[in-house]
Amino acid sequence: MLAAAWPARALDAPTGPVVLTVGGRVRMPNQGDAAQFDMTMLAALPQTTFTTRTPWYAQPRRFTGPLLRDVLMAAGAQGQVIRLTALNDYRVDMPYDDAQRHDVIVARLMDDQPMAVRDKGPLFVIYPFDARPELRGAVYYSRSAWQLRKIDVL
Amino acid sequence: MATAEDRRALKRHPQERLRYSWLALTGFVLVLVLLAVALVQARQATLLRQVVQGGDDYVVLMVYQAETEQLRLRDQWQRAADDRVPLDADMLRLRYEIWVSRIELLRGADLQHLLSGADGDQRTLQQAMDFIQASDRALGPTPEVPLDRAFVRALLPQLEALTAPMHELSLGASHKVSEQLEARGIAVRQQSQLGLGLTAFLSVLTLAFAFIALRQVAQLRERRLVLEELATKLRVARREAEAASDAKSAFLANMSHEIRTPFHGLMGMLSLLRETGLTPRQIDYLRTATESADHLLALLNDILDMSQLESGRVTLAVAPVDLRALLRDVEALMRPQATAKPLALHIDAAPGVPERMLADATRLKQILFNLLSNAIKFTDHGAVVLDVRTRERENGEPCIEFAVTDTGVGMDEATLAQLFSRFVQGDSTRSRRHGGTGLGLEISRNLARLMGGDITVRSRPGEGSCFTFHMPLRTPPRTASEGAAPLLPIGLPASRPLHVLVAEDHPVNRQYMAALLENLGHHAHFTSNGQEAVEALCRRRYDVVLMDLHMPVLDGVSATRAIRALPDAARSTVPIVALTADAFAETRDRCLVAGMNDFLTKPVSVQKLATSLRRLFGSGTATPDDVPVPPDQAPAWASSHPVVDESAVAMALQAMSRDKLAAMVEAFLDHAPETVQRLRAAVRDAQPLDLRINAHAAKGAALNLGLAGLAATAEALHEGAAHLPAHEIARLVQRYEDLVPATRKAMCDLGVLLAAPQPAVTG
Repeated sequence: MLAAAWPARALDAPTGPVVLTVGGRVRMPNQGDAAQFDMTMLAALPQTTFTTRTPWYAQPRRFTGPLLRDVLMAAGAQGQVIRLTALNDYRVDMPYDDAQRHDVIVARLMDDQPMAVRDKGPLFVIYPFDARPELRGAVYYSRSAWQLRKIDVL
Repeated sequence: MATAEDRRALKRHPQERLRYSWLALTGFVLVLVLLAVALVQARQATLLRQVVQGGDDYVVLMVYQAETEQLRLRDQWQRAADDRVPLDADMLRLRYEIWVSRIELLRGADLQHLLSGADGDQRTLQQAMDFIQASDRALGPTPEVPLDRAFVRALLPQLEALTAPMHELSLGASHKVSEQLEARGIAVRQQSQLGLGLTAFLSVLTLAFAFIALRQVAQLRERRLVLEELATKLRVARREAEAASDAKSAFLANMSHEIRTPFHGLMGMLSLLRETGLTPRQIDYLRTATESADHLLALLNDILDMSQLESGRVTLAVAPVDLRALLRDVEALMRPQATAKPLALHIDAAPGVPERMLADATRLKQILFNLLSNAIKFTDHGAVVLDVRTRERENGEPCIEFAVTDTGVGMDEATLAQLFSRFVQGDSTRSRRHGGTGLGLEISRNLARLMGGDITVRSRPGEGSCFTFHMPLRTPPRTASEGAAPLLPIGLPASRPLHVLVAEDHPVNRQYMAALLENLGHHAHFTSNGQEAVEALCRRRYDVVLMDLHMPVLDGVSATRAIRALPDAARSTVPIVALTADAFAETRDRCLVAGMNDFLTKPVSVQKLATSLRRLFGSGTATPDDVPVPPDQAPAWASSHPVVDESAVAMALQAMSRDKLAAMVEAFLDHAPETVQRLRAAVRDAQPLDLRINAHAAKGAALNLGLAGLAATAEALHEGAAHLPAHEIARLVQRYEDLVPATRKAMCDLGVLLAAPQPAVTG
């Protein structure tokens, strides 16, 4: 079913510094077994923007980035569990279904600005917390990995 | 009837109100407690939300991670400061950036409350910020100086100095969170204790509420039981009252009977006294006495009627009535009263009035007699008019109206208002003059209502009165014979002699009835008890049955019921006329209820029999027209002989020849020793029933033959058989025996018996 939605062409190799590596059950790798992305490639995917309150900022913030499911689709990654790994080796698992059911984005801009590592950048997994009340809980907060560097689909 | 307890049970309102206010109070407290519980629950929810939102334990992790990153950065920094390894600027920058992000996180607004408590924590953060400010000159987003070993070495001590405070911060946060968790735990515990307390209180309240409700229910049930008991008592009381009332009515009826029986004797004696050659003054006294007796008798009859109407024992014997003949009868009876006043009496039937209608003729006459005699009584001049007309009622049903108008004294409103009340007469001063029981109108109205009609009155003082009796008009279906047919249609040819079945146990009575029927031109057939009568009817058809009431084997009433229950309609509908020595209305009612058509009291005169047969079979039947009506007064030859009843003898002589009567009297008297013997045997064997039967048979025959003394003695035996002491009964039997020669002599004196020394005077 999803096969029909695969992009016609294989994933290009990154040209800039790699900011995200998608590993695990990846059908369209561009570097070994993994699909690697630079910022340009992520910016080239359809972008989603929303403003939401988060536990990490006092004020609501505006986040922009591709939907997590689009990133996974671009890599041809499909599985049961999505394992997110941050720069500091923080690791958290989310059900694969979360990416399908919720408009989870891999935010690359906050308030339309690129995020430095010190600002939890460069990539920040963000759930649309304000869109659904059930997302405003410890489970989803913990799945919102910041300083994201790697996604493994298991 | 309600006892004090019952009244108390019904009068508990103040207590009740108190209980209800308790209930309301409990309910109110319950609501308050529920509100408190809700409040506690809400607070608990808030606390829980704080735990989730604050994520204080998460903060501990952050501080710990910041410490870890600080240690990693320190390692990287130390390596960068080491001349022996090449400077990995990218790695150093990444470690630095990650650490900065950790510090930034700790400075985040949400975490301040955890850290602001201790001054040391702030100082540590400030120290970290100072280091960041210094490092950012080479490692920040906009580097001012190049990142070289000198820069790294210069800042290394500052970074190393951060290690201990960061560790302190981590420990402090950990402790602080523990404290907060502890505090929150205590708060939650308190909340839940409060919640528990409230729940316990709530439970107690609920129990109390339930208890009160249960008590309420129990008390309601108790009250219902009391009420039911009260209702039962009232029902019993009502039943008792009704029984008492019934008993009173029955007593009244019985007493009226009891009084009437000797009263008839008294009146008979008075009439006999009249014939004993009195002085004018004595005659005057006697007339007054007779008038008083008549009045008293009327009173007794009225009381009897009233008591029977009240107890609902009056049933209407509805049969086709020849209205014109009935009006003629009424006129014949009323005219003497009217002419005595003198008043004109007109009875006028409108053209539309049918000749025949369905009604209880006796009761209808009773009403008309009452209305007319009232009118005559209260009118001194002028006329009394009875108008009969038909009209339609509001509901379209035909109705017949009998309007009695007089030119009498009239009545005012007040009198009219209480006119139909018991013992009320139009004018108490007049009533003394006019006599009357005052029951007449009430009886009439009750009878009218029993017939489905009513009596209304219109009157004004001095302008006379108009009493209108109306009842539903129902006309009988036309039968072949146009005469006043009885209830049961019998299409008899007009002048045919009737076949009459007489059920009579006494041989003399049988002879007597045979003589009467022969005189009237009918054929008499005899059976000696009810059973034989029923059997005889099954064998062949008779036109009418004359039924003695007291018979062995099967009495008259039972035989009538048996006949009415016969499967063959032609036989079961045969007219039955009761023959009895009792004149009691109850006996009469019993006969009519059993299905008899008429009722003849002994002594049976030829007129009575003929009238009855005419009622049943119409004027075509042999009528007493060819029989001379006996004069009102006793015949001249009649003199006072207590042992014989001259008028009965006269009646018998109208029915049969003297020879025949003589033969029957002879037969009866010859039979007497045998009767006496049988009576004595019954007394000796203590068989009151045998005694009664024999005495009754003797009585009936004696009455018919006019042997009053024997009849009276036989009756006394009949009545006393069950309760009189043996010597009294023996005395009565002796008297009966003694009366036989006296009776024979008296009959000789009357010229009935041939041995009479004087020539007989025939009537």
